[in-house]
Amino acid sequence: MALAQFAESRSLTLGVELELQIVNTHDYDLVGSAEDLLRALAKRKLPGDVKPEMTVSMIEMATGVCDNYHDALEQLGTIRDAMVDAARRLNVGVCGGGTHGFQHWDDRKIFDKPRFNFLSELYGYLAKQFTVFGQHVHIGCPGPDVALYLLHSLSRYVPHFIALSASSPFVQGSDTGYQSARLNSVFAFPLSGRAPYVESWAEFERYFDKMTATGVVKSMKDFYWDIRPKPEFGTIEVRVMDTPLTVRRAAELAAYIQSVARWLMVERPMRPVEDDYLVYTFNRFQALRFGMAGIFVDPRTHEHRTLAEDIVATIDRVEQHSIELVADEPCRSLREIAQSGMNDAAVLRAEFADARSLNEVVRRQCLRWAQ
Amino acid sequence: MVESLLWPAWPLQGNELMQLAVALLLAAVCGEAVARLLRFPRVTGYSLAGLLMGPTLLGWFGPADLDHVRIAIDLALALLLFELGVRLDIRWFRANPWVLGSSLAESSITFVVTYLLMRGMGYPNGLAATVGAIAIGTSPSVVMRVAAEQRAEGQVTQRLFVLCALNIAYSVVLSKLIVGGMHGVFRGDWTLAVLHPLYLLLGSLVIGGLLALAFRLVRRLFNLSDEQGVVVLFGLLLLTLALLDMLKLPGMLAPLIAGAIVKFFDPRPHLWPRHFGTAGGVLVIALFMLTGMSLTPEQMAAGGTAALALVIARVAGKAGGVMLLGPVSGISLRQAAALGIALAPMSGVAFLLTEDIRTIYPFFGSQLAPIVLSMVAVLQLLGPIAVQWGLRYAGESRAGDK
Repeated sequence: MALAQFAESRSLTLGVELELQIVNTHDYDLVGSAEDLLRALAKRKLPGDVKPEMTVSMIEMATGVCDNYHDALEQLGTIRDAMVDAARRLNVGVCGGGTHGFQHWDDRKIFDKPRFNFLSELYGYLAKQFTVFGQHVHIGCPGPDVALYLLHSLSRYVPHFIALSASSPFVQGSDTGYQSARLNSVFAFPLSGRAPYVESWAEFERYFDKMTATGVVKSMKDFYWDIRPKPEFGTIEVRVMDTPLTVRRAAELAAYIQSVARWLMVERPMRPVEDDYLVYTFNRFQALRFGMAGIFVDPRTHEHRTLAEDIVATIDRVEQHSIELVADEPCRSLREIAQSGMNDAAVLRAEFADARSLNEVVRRQCLRWAQ
Repeated sequence: MVESLLWPAWPLQGNELMQLAVALLLAAVCGEAVARLLRFPRVTGYSLAGLLMGPTLLGWFGPADLDHVRIAIDLALALLLFELGVRLDIRWFRANPWVLGSSLAESSITFVVTYLLMRGMGYPNGLAATVGAIAIGTSPSVVMRVAAEQRAEGQVTQRLFVLCALNIAYSVVLSKLIVGGMHGVFRGDWTLAVLHPLYLLLGSLVIGGLLALAFRLVRRLFNLSDEQGVVVLFGLLLLTLALLDMLKLPGMLAPLIAGAIVKFFDPRPHLWPRHFGTAGGVLVIALFMLTGMSLTPEQMAAGGTAALALVIARVAGKAGGVMLLGPVSGISLRQAAALGIALAPMSGVAFLLTEDIRTIYPFFGSQLAPIVLSMVAVLQLLGPIAVQWGLRYAGESRAGDK
């Protein structure tokens, strides 16, 4: 399949996708009710879209094109309410969080759809282990070259998005010590990581053609990059976030990404260079392991500081742009999270310390999600 | 003679324990053989072993032996019903009344269909109504055992548990009301006819409430998912059974009510090993084996043909009822069909209800038992296969995945 034409989209528009967990209300393990939920939701008029995901205990919700934070929050809220209502009628729970705390990957079933069956054949157990739940944020770009500029400049901020969204400390019944263990599952895929360093769409097309010629990839969907262009929508898609525990946090993260993107696009503070990526995997690892307390190495100055410091500094720097986008309120609230260190991973650990049972933690995740 | 107390008699004399041990081993072997060779649920094998050793074929055991082990059956059922009750979340019916609707539909249609068929075959009114009431109930042991074996999960499995819990409750209540009616008919004592069922129901409710309360206290003190917790739960349920027996209350309603109350007031996840661990598993095997043993050839001759017709009518009634309201309650027609068929099993509860009636009214019981026990025999063999088929057809079985 050839690379699609880069579609036109309004600059800096937003789209949010959230992958969610479906659990039973008995012991709060994952349950395969995606099809039942989709059937119930098909009858409703919703602003965005609800789709199946790799395994039958996952469901994805997506907004339409949003202008700003408030728009995104409202759409997410409407879809969330409809989904929670449908889930109640089926006596199942829906919740956020990047991983399910105690599910066994081997218990999962692949959703019966040609693409998922193909992926399951290809990747084997990796496909079932891919029962992890992420948030994707699309940012509208006026053209393909701008999209690649934005993709590479935003890469510096990927650790921010990881630390602020991290909500997957527990995997297969144990505390991993990570704030986002989910990304470790994504890293197992051969085509994960970052996009190649190319600055123009023409170069990107050449790269894509070479890759398809090797037979390794067929479409953009086969790349599991942290940020990837989505030519069909005319957007770039930031994919490193864990699904937060609430739609509010999801909308706040989108607003922060949008604010940074506006600053990068309007002020063009620096020209990305390939060497920016020298510290990329180090910073990324620090973020998923230690969250806000992780070390951030500035790719230009080589200065070492904590991620919390770099996030606070960045939010302050882009303030004018967040005000323009009516995103100053959500950015302020993320600034507080960065300072306090209370991201969703910390919330989940606190819940576990209180409840002493991961089953009960998942139940509380469901309550939080429905709020 | 001291010596006869010291040395074994020759040839060795068999004792009851030996019989029971052989029976248990044979049941286990049968279960395994059925699972490996035919890929049917093990439960079918346990029941088969019971039928083989029972009076119909080998005659190793008879209904008389059941008295010794009645407590094992009662305890096994109490365990299962309590667990089933905890899975019955009353709040669900407020969110989706159609689930309750489909339960009422399948149960009432089953009752009407079996009652009319009994009448059509020329049986008297009281007998037809009693068989109808008993036919409403689905076997919790078969349903839970097969679902566990298939590692099933999903809407059909969940609804299977809930509809089973509800139809057992209807079945017990209705059959007690009918027995109450018999007090009026057979003894002309209509005060007793009204008061006795009322006592049974209110008594079960009170004991169920007390058990729920005790369970909540115990839960605070013990971790129920470890061994100590299992011991405490066994003790608690035995205590409940003892109390129920003293008060002459049915053993089946109170644990079910208790479970539902626990879930209603404490929505936190309730965890314990499936069937309370291995000890519970042994009791469940015994349950299938023993109900299989209770059928005599005379009974089969007297009730067999009617039972076959009733089994077909009952399955049709359950499937029809569920399919009628399935789609509005949020499941597909395919899922509804799977659910309806999976409701087919009938065993321990039906058996105990019949036994209870037989102790009070031996003559009426002797008419009732052949029919119900023949139905139980057929459905103990075919019911597990129906559940297995239903869960697979609905795509909820995960047994073949590995």
